[in-house]
Amino acid sequence: MLNVLRWAGRLPWRILAPIVLFILVALFAPLIAPYKPGVQDYSALLLPPGPAHWFGTDYLGRDLFSRVVMGARVSLVAMSTVLASALFIGVVVGSFAGYVGGRIELVMISFIDVVLCVPSLIIALAFIGIFGAGYWTMVGALTMAWWANYARMSRAVVASEIGQPYIEAARVMGASHLWIYVKHLLPHVLSLVVVYASADAGALVLAIATLSFLSLGVQPPIPEWGQMLVDGMSYLEESPRLVIVPGIALTLVVISFNLLGEHFALKKVPKPLPRRRLTRLMEARRTEEEMLSRQETIG
Amino acid sequence: MKKLIARRMIFAIAMVIAASALAFAVVAAAPGNVAALIAERIAGPSATAELVRQIADDLGLNDPLPLRYLSWLNNAATGDFGSSLRSGKPISEEFAQRLPVTATLIVCGGIIALVMSLSFGVLGAIDNGGIVDRLLRPVALVSASAPNFFVAAILVLIFSVSLGWLPAFGTGSIGSWIMPSLSVALFPGAVLSRVVRINLQDTMSRPFATTGFSKGFSRPAVLLREALPNIAVPFLTTFGAQLTLMIIGAIIVETVFALNGIGSFFIEVIRFRDFIGMQAVLLLFIAFSVSVNLVVDILCMFIDPQLRRRTNA
Repeated sequence: MLNVLRWAGRLPWRILAPIVLFILVALFAPLIAPYKPGVQDYSALLLPPGPAHWFGTDYLGRDLFSRVVMGARVSLVAMSTVLASALFIGVVVGSFAGYVGGRIELVMISFIDVVLCVPSLIIALAFIGIFGAGYWTMVGALTMAWWANYARMSRAVVASEIGQPYIEAARVMGASHLWIYVKHLLPHVLSLVVVYASADAGALVLAIATLSFLSLGVQPPIPEWGQMLVDGMSYLEESPRLVIVPGIALTLVVISFNLLGEHFALKKVPKPLPRRRLTRLMEARRTEEEMLSRQETIG
Repeated sequence: MKKLIARRMIFAIAMVIAASALAFAVVAAAPGNVAALIAERIAGPSATAELVRQIADDLGLNDPLPLRYLSWLNNAATGDFGSSLRSGKPISEEFAQRLPVTATLIVCGGIIALVMSLSFGVLGAIDNGGIVDRLLRPVALVSASAPNFFVAAILVLIFSVSLGWLPAFGTGSIGSWIMPSLSVALFPGAVLSRVVRINLQDTMSRPFATTGFSKGFSRPAVLLREALPNIAVPFLTTFGAQLTLMIIGAIIVETVFALNGIGSFFIEVIRFRDFIGMQAVLLLFIAFSVSVNLVVDILCMFIDPQLRRRTNA
């Protein structure tokens, strides 16, 4: 417990704060939003910002503030779904390639490299072209576009770790492949890939908004920032806030994730050090010292 | 050296073939019968099964997939991409009309990004820790985070709606290219300016920079004489990556500004599920990405003797 607290204290809270705020807004969106995001009010079309509607209303009389707040939730849900499935596929495929090695690994790396040579959003667009536009196609398409990165990383970690003596030792002691992988390799893979993915989430939020802006992602009437923005484009002259408000919300979220990414790129990532590993390290040092002192007394 | 370049080129060609084969296979495996779609367009709802079968035979749709891929790639190499499922027009005609638009956009965007990143990056490094440097960092962060389409919308709002200086769409005059190029260039320019700034900082602590100082050069002179040439490799590598990412920028910006380029064609083709058009555009994008990477790699080999020697060994 104390260890967890100590680890949490070392996290870059100043950088994490805006992301936490985004997640909180998304989680409690229905409580924060004063109106239902889909309710149309024809007596209140394109109202300017006021006490009743903080950001005004759109061309169907819907409350802009409520829609932006609900948009955070739509973004977060879609982003987490894609991230979780892309991570799962990437880690499984990449780890498998790194673990088996040999010719199978070579074929799998080549495949991953071929996928990575095309910008990911183009892969996503191609998948949407094949299966048609829609929420779940978007989630699937983005997953197909994002997994290869994580696969390459997982493979690199597994390939570098598998040659270590302790893996060899575990194998000699009769540990099964699954045990070696889950117990010894997976923690290494996850500690790197999850950190990278958390900084990558901003790009994913942006991709979701971009696809929705092209009306190939989240479909109306679900409030999504990119889709709200393209909706507002026709009213750019009379009510530019229909474009500016969702645009700023989107930009702020992406900025906060990019700040996290920059932090990770410039500084070392705080890794949770398991208690057992810590004691093992200290024991190793102690025995080393003991042996050294013994040598001295003998000498 | 020659052998190295030749090997790199063979690798690039293999990459194009592998990636386009993958794209071809994925699109070919899509649900929906291409022959039935064509028959419906030719004969309307009265299309018979006979006609569908005949069209499938003509297009070679019943051949095994590898054979279909080879004949498609063979035709594509001679400029024949087949006809669009939507309009029936040859896709090569569409490409001939639209390629100049996208090429102009990417070239203008690339030049703006180049000038912007080098000047901002060097400016920040000269001012090291001063007010300009500290101001440029948040500016770069916001520019690298703002979505393309939002930037485009803001530009339209300022320069078309409020000031009325520039047209909001079309390609009528030179002025109409300013906003699309800027919206494409902002993101890569911001990312690259950070790359320039951080790498300059790094290089300035190397021994040869100290030598420059001891010769009596000022900080800006050392930056330009000693440090700047040494960041060429990381700069070029990132520039290449950003240039391929500019395809995505072009897709969005062409849609916003109603430009008839390859990007907007790709979106049209996706909306209408024109599989033949999709295969052609994907091949074009793949060829572009791979050749940009090839050129960057070869340039880096020319610039950096260390890289040349390491890969030679």
